[in-house]
Amino acid sequence: MLGHFAIAAIETLANRLISLAPQVQARLAKVQGQSLVVHVRDWQQFISVVYASEGLMLQVHDAQPEYSDCFISADTDTLMKLKEPSRLTQLIRQHKLDIDGDIHLAQAFSQAFSELDIDWPEHWSQYIGDAPAQLLWQAVSQGKARALEAQGKLDHILLTLLQDELKVSIHPLELTQFTRQNRQLKSDVQQLEQRLDKLLAQMPMQQTRG
Amino acid sequence: MKEAEQKTTHFGYKTVAANEKAAHVADVFHSVAAKYDLMNDLLSFGIHRLWKRVTIASSGARKGQTILDLAGGTGDLTAKFSQLVGDTGRVILGDINDSMLKVGRDKLRDRGLVSNIEYVQMNAEELPFPDNSIDVITIAFGLRNVTDQSKALASMYRVLKPGGRLLVLEFSKPEHEVLTKLYDIYSFNILPKVGQVVLNDSESYKYLAESIRMHPDQETLEGMMKDVGFEQTSYQNMSGGIVALHRGFKF
Ligand SMILES: C[S@@+](CC[C@H](N)C(=O)[O-])C[C@H]1O[C@@H](n2cnc3c(N)ncnc32)[C@H](O)[C@@H]1O
Repeated sequence: MLGHFAIAAIETLANRLISLAPQVQARLAKVQGQSLVVHVRDWQQFISVVYASEGLMLQVHDAQPEYSDCFISADTDTLMKLKEPSRLTQLIRQHKLDIDGDIHLAQAFSQAFSELDIDWPEHWSQYIGDAPAQLLWQAVSQGKARALEAQGKLDHILLTLLQDELKVSIHPLELTQFTRQNRQLKSDVQQLEQRLDKLLAQMPMQQTRG
Repeated sequence: MKEAEQKTTHFGYKTVAANEKAAHVADVFHSVAAKYDLMNDLLSFGIHRLWKRVTIASSGARKGQTILDLAGGTGDLTAKFSQLVGDTGRVILGDINDSMLKVGRDKLRDRGLVSNIEYVQMNAEELPFPDNSIDVITIAFGLRNVTDQSKALASMYRVLKPGGRLLVLEFSKPEHEVLTKLYDIYSFNILPKVGQVVLNDSESYKYLAESIRMHPDQETLEGMMKDVGFEQTSYQNMSGGIVALHRGFKF
């Protein structure tokens, strides 16, 4: 039930976004009525997507639906990488991805949503008027820019901290020393193992009753 | 009990002549038709929408199919199916009650869903379709109201195509004692009061609560489906068994 609830919420949200983006509607209209089924391997769930006359319809299934125009099977990590078409063949060869049916359908959905570019100030203005909508947009845009800037700074700080302050990265000499010690340990263990084998061989054979 | 079953049946907790139950049920739905959708949302806290989503997901509905939404009332399931079967498919909204059908038709027309939906007044016990003609049948919160349920199930089996499936969404038996008690308090005390306030009709909702208690439990209903020929039957409890979705195939 939880899965159905979540997918219902996503469906509502997606349809809300689509209703604000005419270019997405036009793109999806071309694949109206065709069903894409996505098998999310790590969730063991199947999600079907159909764009119909009243909008997007999403469903979750425990088992694979008998019919689909395009079927994709991958785990969430791989699904996230599908945006780069150049990697598809590689992913399929690595058995990380299975595709069956009309791949254009999957591409149509993925493109439609990546093109989701909504004229927010225009929509907000319906509720709060032109000037406030523009102000709000500026504030949001500035906020976004500032957040990105902050994130950049944070990344830099982290990097410096790791490299200089904490000396997390190892010096090549340290690495060589570690490898040498490791090799010594390995050979000690081997010797011990051989000695144990010898001891075991010297022990009188014991029959066990099965 | 057994010999009396031929001529009498349950109408909620009352025993009525079998040939009168349909008329009583008709009264109930004539009286609630106009506010049926509102009451559904109100009384189930909107959860009936989720139960219906699960039903749609289990139906395997796809483009080109013929689907019968039996006892379909105001057409919640029909609306979804109409989208899934597309222009090459068709959905029949079947109900015994013309008031419910009319509310359904008006609602779906307002939403622009017209091209592939038919509205047919029918009794679930004697479906007006040829043998082997329908891909999927759903009956949501309808079977409980039917006088001869086995006859209705047999009729559904007859009209389904080989490979077709039936989905019965219906109130059922809660899985836990505590839930049963809470549910009883809710349905016998709160349901009729809300019915009184919103519709000035507590009787219809008293009937609802009573008919739910009289309805066969999960195992019994599955047995009834098997008896008329359904195969690979199964059921799925929802909301702790307050509602169950039964599924069966014809091969
Ligand atoms: C509770 S409503 C369910 C409506 C709809 N399926 C839903 O889930 O919202 C039950 C419906 O069953 C219909 N009904 C009762 N007895 C019937 C019968 N014998 N044949 C067909 N429909 C029947 C009623 O008229 C009513 O519309």
